[in-house]
Amino acid sequence: MTPDDIPVLGALRRVGPDDRVFDLLLLTGPLVVACIALLGRGPVTGGLAVVYLLVLVGRVAYNATAA
Amino acid sequence: MSHFGTLGDPRTVARDLGRMLQALSGLMLVSVAIPLVWMELWAVPAMLVSAAVPLALGTLLARRYRDAKNPDRFHGMVVAASGWFVVAVFGSLPFLLVAWTIRLDPMMLDAPTLTGRAASTVAAFEHPLNALFESMSGFTGTGLTMTDDEAALPRTLQWWRSFIEWVGGVGVIVLTTAILSRPGSGSLTLYESEARSEKIHPSIVSTVRTIWWIFLLFTFGSVLLLWLVGMPLWDAINHGMTGLATGGFSITDNSIATYDSALIDYALLPIMTLGSIAFPIHYLVLRGDLSHLYEDLQTRWVFLSFTVGTAVLVGLLVVNGTYDSVEAAVRYGAFQFVSAMSCTGFQTAGGLGTDWTAEAQLTVSLGMVLGAAAGSTVGGIKLVRALTLSKGILFRIAGVFYPADAVRYFRLNGRALSEEEAAREFEEAAIVAFLWFLFLGVGTLTLLLALPDDYTLANVVFEVASAQGNVGLSSGITGPGMPDLTKVMFLFNMWIGRLEIIPVLVLLRGLLYGGLGR
Repeated sequence: MTPDDIPVLGALRRVGPDDRVFDLLLLTGPLVVACIALLGRGPVTGGLAVVYLLVLVGRVAYNATAA
Repeated sequence: MSHFGTLGDPRTVARDLGRMLQALSGLMLVSVAIPLVWMELWAVPAMLVSAAVPLALGTLLARRYRDAKNPDRFHGMVVAASGWFVVAVFGSLPFLLVAWTIRLDPMMLDAPTLTGRAASTVAAFEHPLNALFESMSGFTGTGLTMTDDEAALPRTLQWWRSFIEWVGGVGVIVLTTAILSRPGSGSLTLYESEARSEKIHPSIVSTVRTIWWIFLLFTFGSVLLLWLVGMPLWDAINHGMTGLATGGFSITDNSIATYDSALIDYALLPIMTLGSIAFPIHYLVLRGDLSHLYEDLQTRWVFLSFTVGTAVLVGLLVVNGTYDSVEAAVRYGAFQFVSAMSCTGFQTAGGLGTDWTAEAQLTVSLGMVLGAAAGSTVGGIKLVRALTLSKGILFRIAGVFYPADAVRYFRLNGRALSEEEAAREFEEAAIVAFLWFLFLGVGTLTLLLALPDDYTLANVVFEVASAQGNVGLSSGITGPGMPDLTKVMFLFNMWIGRLEIIPVLVLLRGLLYGGLGR
């Protein structure tokens, strides 16, 4: 079984820009928002949000240098 | 036979409208989660009834005409124009039914008893025209509002306003990227650049899916960024959605000025800019090709226009002494120019209509008339048309100095167009620009006739340009108390502005002369 065989994950991978990191960010986005909603503002949730944004921007930069 | 005589089978239009209504119903059903989460249980029946009506009608139409022919290019225009209107009509139901639920509480569900500004804000939606105005403003991404105090709205309606702007934002990208893209529309020129393929994918369906994918990813990024810089989560969700969609609905009484935070103001700049760039460019950037950020004509001009416009506006604010410090002038000037040119309509400068000088207001107005990139969520005339017109004029003038049999090429966005292709692009841009200013004039005249004498011509032109450019900045005219005629005029301005005028005229022509039935 490959990731493409999993219903939601497979559809997301086929639709997006063919990048697993971006796929992961799209899947985890709602989870991070849900964590913030449940736990409120704090070091853990703040850290999660920072990491999310850094990975997003960093991946664009990485792809640009790799292209 | 003229194109107008080949609009074809109205059953095709009916089937596609039915599908759109089914989708609208789905949006409403998803939104039932909001009153459940926020314990506004009294609003659940209103949302369910709102969903049931378009679902029933949509299913009827889609099933009855399921064997209708596939749409052609002109059906695309007619479906887009009529669909946007029909969706706005049915999308007004949550506003109407929630407002009447609060008034009557017919199912004894303990609807809240509102007083003061909160009561008048919600009561405004008891009038169908106000509800339709809000819905049209949302789906077109305009952001002009019939509410007096957005913070007093039930969370259900705050969400519905943000949600329809967000969906409308995707809708217009899909419209300009995948459906209305045609020779001479500017959009096709954009995607036919020699450097890349015409669209994100060859198929419209996969293109639409990819646009949703990118839009969702950027939405999560926007929400988290706004939350990080200090916005409460609910506010960040709503403003992240409406900021990226360059819609501009807020859930606070005083738009972004409510927070009085330079960090939030600056965090919204990249979000509004993301919404101003054509989504095929985002796709290429995500794949690692950053060169299109400066090689693509429109994208380059988005950054250039934002920078130059901001510099001019800040200069005017500093010279006129509008603010006490240069920092304040930079903060408010940058935000308001980007908000205007991206057609978002968020407001941080409280004195935009009163304290700012006429030159500063004119600079903001120019930005919102021009708009940013075709293929993004913005309104206005669009940069590609303005550039086509400017370069086309120079091309025509230069042509006088060449021999009549000279073979010349018109260069646009890296493409070498023949004289015939150039004429088609130039003609389309000229027609849309002419119609844009024509209807700006019609709207201005209507408002001058219908409004009391309290407003200046500058105020009226600003407001109509804001409505037609789908911007949402207000000089103070728009509100539930304005005459019904002006509301109807603004509904029309917002509608044609979103669809870039021609599809609406094609629809009206078809309805008036029976082209739909031939």
